[in-house]
Amino acid sequence: MNDVVMPSLAFLAPLAALVTATLVRRAHARASEPQPWFDAGIATALLVPLAVLVSWPDVLTPARAAVAAGLCVALLANDPRDLPQTEVALKLLWVLLAAFALSWAGDALLALASGSARPREQWPALALALDPYSLWSAAASLSMLAGLVMLGGAPFHFWAGDLFHGARAHLAPFVAVTLQVAGASWLMHHLTGVEAFPAAERLVRAQLTLAASVALVGGAATLANPARSERRVGALVSLQGGLVLASFAAVPWAAPFAAQGGLAAWGGHLLLAASGASLLSRFLPVGGSVSDGASVLFRRHPWTGAAGAYAMLSLAGAPGTPGAQLWLGLARTLADHRHPGLLFAVALAWLASFGVAAAEIRRAFGAPESTPLPEREVPGALRAALWTACGALLVLLWAWW
Amino acid sequence: MIRAPRIPSARLGALCATSGVVLLMLPGVVWAALGVELMAMAFWLWARAMPERAEPMARWSWLRRPAMALWLACALFMALPELRQMYAPVVGHGPSSPFGVPSFVPAPLPVSRDPMALLRTLAALAVLWAGLELMAALPLSRPFPDLTGPVRSLGPWLTALLPVTGFLVLWRQAELWTTAPFVREVATVTLLLAALLAALRAYTRRSLTASLRWLVVFDCTLASMLVARGVVPGEIAALLWLGSAGGRLIALAAELRGQAVRRGAQLTRLWRWAGWLACSALAWPLLYDVGFGDGRFHPLEFAVLMSAVFVASLLWLQRVVEAPERRAVARPEDRVPLISRVAAIAVLLAGPLSLAWVWKRVMTDPLTALIALVPMALAWWPIHRARVVPEPTEPEPPAGPGTRDFALNTFRAVTVVERQMAGAIAVVARLLGAPARDLHSGDAQEYLLFLVGVAVLSLLLPLLR
Repeated sequence: MNDVVMPSLAFLAPLAALVTATLVRRAHARASEPQPWFDAGIATALLVPLAVLVSWPDVLTPARAAVAAGLCVALLANDPRDLPQTEVALKLLWVLLAAFALSWAGDALLALASGSARPREQWPALALALDPYSLWSAAASLSMLAGLVMLGGAPFHFWAGDLFHGARAHLAPFVAVTLQVAGASWLMHHLTGVEAFPAAERLVRAQLTLAASVALVGGAATLANPARSERRVGALVSLQGGLVLASFAAVPWAAPFAAQGGLAAWGGHLLLAASGASLLSRFLPVGGSVSDGASVLFRRHPWTGAAGAYAMLSLAGAPGTPGAQLWLGLARTLADHRHPGLLFAVALAWLASFGVAAAEIRRAFGAPESTPLPEREVPGALRAALWTACGALLVLLWAWW
Repeated sequence: MIRAPRIPSARLGALCATSGVVLLMLPGVVWAALGVELMAMAFWLWARAMPERAEPMARWSWLRRPAMALWLACALFMALPELRQMYAPVVGHGPSSPFGVPSFVPAPLPVSRDPMALLRTLAALAVLWAGLELMAALPLSRPFPDLTGPVRSLGPWLTALLPVTGFLVLWRQAELWTTAPFVREVATVTLLLAALLAALRAYTRRSLTASLRWLVVFDCTLASMLVARGVVPGEIAALLWLGSAGGRLIALAAELRGQAVRRGAQLTRLWRWAGWLACSALAWPLLYDVGFGDGRFHPLEFAVLMSAVFVASLLWLQRVVEAPERRAVARPEDRVPLISRVAAIAVLLAGPLSLAWVWKRVMTDPLTALIALVPMALAWWPIHRARVVPEPTEPEPPAGPGTRDFALNTFRAVTVVERQMAGAIAVVARLLGAPARDLHSGDAQEYLLFLVGVAVLSLLLPLLR
């Protein structure tokens, strides 16, 4: 049974996320759009390449990862009327261009030092110790930079927050997850065969451990700070990048989350959880305390609110959600490879993310009010989107159990 | 359109609290975490249904802390399944005294054998933290038994439910935390201090309902100490606790329903005996073990525990006095207090019968056992001066000279110091977290600055190997 279900999940999760995106885009149609369903379909069709990349990350070579990043920026800049989204596109373009330039410089140096452009051949060639340490270490460090930026772990967590705050609800999760999957693929490609050169493996492990620690601890520290829920969802997404970094730090040459189905399963879950959480965050009040009244969604449709809350909890890795399986899988990997420090950082980040998500949901439900219910209902398409994300996550939970 | 049923918050809270307590009875840290989470949810639901909800919602929000601690323990035990076997190779005997250095020190420390030992200790400490915090044995939650719960009718009784959940956590998860290095010692010292403070605070409160809440805390700390030190088997400790804390909980509930355990001289006397006997049965083996364990006398530990037990016993004997009859017509249940009488007899028998089960194994020396009984027996000495204590309707008067004021000042001094220490730690944490808060201003220039910074760092770090 699992032999059939597990591989198909990698495709089913992005498919469910596409359905969610269509529903969200339909609900957010402008009054000037005469055919909202058609327009929503077109917008979703533009997301299909991203969904394919998420469900099939093996096709992402470094060059294709750069193309995927470019596609993400293009999608964000597609609508000039949407100023916040265009600003996000510009910011991403600004940082990604510089990151790719630095990484390509590192790649060129590595090729120069080893005489090959293929990572699988580079590490054994470098192991012959014909080149100075400073040359190949600098080259290796630089070549990983684009992967770190695209994964979005702290201190590069800002783009995820900006993206979920500025971009439209149907687009932000796809862009974020595509960039993160591209980042993970970038690192995986560059680390292929590194075990053939023990000195490089030690260096890479040390750097990835440092990067993962900063991503997890820094992400946990900044999680409670943003006033807007959208930015908080961005911070939770950036923590997922920290998880991938921690996995690479433990086993640099293996694909992360192998027990759950690899990078594709991780990306699929992230896509669904981020879609639900991102949509839910649009209904949450900015600021305010736990004793304030509930938002419209939670007053009129509390069960739909609960469905959205499940997506947010899954993104945070709360127990009883598929997200928790990913955190636990990583913790087991770190324990098996004797990484107590990183495991502690993962525990800290998990506590912070679970705590913040639970507080956010309490704030969303607020306190009961005696005033009459708001007259306008939340659009049915948005409610259906929340239920789709929740249902797909439940299927994931069943499959991973 | 079909609408989902809306359940009132108060009923939902009651359902959550009941399910939470039931889950806490089950073995398995997952159930404990879920149980405490449900308890926290119950308090949140009750608080949000109150008219003035801002304060109670903020006041009871700390209940998520023990739940999170248990979730952390649960996650660590799931991630590291071999945790349960790791303490087995530790050789040596148990600690000689609560303040003594553990005797497994000569053996190689677990950390030196296994790098994951620190995390395993962390998992055990998380379970302990949850239990202690629910029992008002940690500085951050110390004052909660002074407060009433967020339900109007049941509020004063509801608060007493939290130490009960704390004991259930520590008892049912005992095998996870009592075997970890240092955790047992940390637990003993913390519980000893908590027992003393609870007895002192109970003594300073003039209202019997408030005193009873603190006495429940006191019973829970004693029973947890029995579990922590392994004085008696866990089931016996639970039965002893059930007799003592159960009696106080019944008395507290009865206080809120017309002082039902203090109606009539005979019933009052029966309850006085029952409560004293149950508390004595709980404290006796502990006093014996703490004072005379390991074949020698431990004066400091014995004195601290003895004074706490003496104050608690004295308090019960002095406070459980016949209630003044102000009603023209007594309630039918007060005229024939069958339920109250049966409950008193159950409380009277629970402790001694449980103790009789393990008598020979625990108390090997009869003379020492008699000495350990002294604090409880001494409490009877001033009882002839027992009188009806008026129930105050106004706030507590400021401290002045006298034993009660000494107790109040001691309690306040300890809690103030604790709070200042916790505040100092919070300030340091905020200072350390401030740069993270200011990490991102949203400026696009900042993006590039970070990138350049990280690039330079990644070039320099390998050269500093």
